[in-house]
Amino acid sequence: MGSLRAFAVSLCGDKERADDLVQETLFKAWNHLESFKEGTNLKAWLFTILRNTYFSERRKRRREVEDADGTYAARLATQPAQHGHMDMQDFRAALVQIPDDQREALILVGAAGFSYEEAAEISGCAVGTIKSRVNRARNRLAGMLGLEDAESIPLAEGLSKTA
Amino acid sequence: MDRDANKKDRRRKAPGASKKMDHAVENGPAEMSGESQGVEPDAGLSPTLQAHIGRHVRAVFDEVAREPIPEHLLRLLKDLERSGDK
Repeated sequence: MGSLRAFAVSLCGDKERADDLVQETLFKAWNHLESFKEGTNLKAWLFTILRNTYFSERRKRRREVEDADGTYAARLATQPAQHGHMDMQDFRAALVQIPDDQREALILVGAAGFSYEEAAEISGCAVGTIKSRVNRARNRLAGMLGLEDAESIPLAEGLSKTA
Repeated sequence: MDRDANKKDRRRKAPGASKKMDHAVENGPAEMSGESQGVEPDAGLSPTLQAHIGRHVRAVFDEVAREPIPEHLLRLLKDLERSGDK
C-alpha cells in the first residue's frame, strides 16, 4: 500500500489528491475482483488501475481547468535552491515537470521495482516505449538539474547550476 | 470488418498479451513515433549519472512509501474486507 501511495503522489504531485486516487483505486479493485486472476501480479494490477484512473481523470479535468497541474509544477519549481546543491526539493520539482508518461515510466522501473516488461503492461505500451521514456526522463532530469557532465557530478551540483 | 477488429485488438492487447505479440507491436505500425526503433536505452548518460538520478528517484519515492498509511485508507481496507465476508 505504501508504494501504491508513493506512485500516486509521483503522478499527481499532491498528497491529498494522491490519497483520493488510492481510495478510488481500492474501491475499483474491490468491485472488480473477478477480473483479477489468482496468482498473477496483484501489485501490478493495482498500479494499473491507479494509473488508468489518474490519466482518464486528467483527460476529463483538462477540459475544465486549463493546466492546473502546470501551475502547481511551476510553483514548486520557483522555490529557490538552498545552498546550490541538488536536494530532494529540487529533484521533486524537476520530476513533476517532466511529461507524465516519462515520469510514470521512470518511477515504475526506477523506484517501484517493476521490470520493463511489467511496466509496459501497467502502462499499456510496448517495452521499447518504456525504455525510451525512461531514457528521456533521465536525460530531461539531468538537463534540468544541470548534471550533464557525469565526471563532475559532485561539482556540478554547485557549479554548473546557473541561476 | 473482422480484420479491423483484429488490428484494434492487437493494439489494445499489449498489457498481458503474449511475448510474441509484444514484439510485433513494438516493431509494427502501432509505434508511430518510432521511439522504440533502435533507441539505445541509456544513450547519452553515463552509468554514474544514471545511478545518481536513480538514487534520487528512489529517495523521493521511498519518502512517501515509508510513511504510515493514513487512517482513513486503513479503515477503507478494513471495511472492504469486512463487506467481502458477508
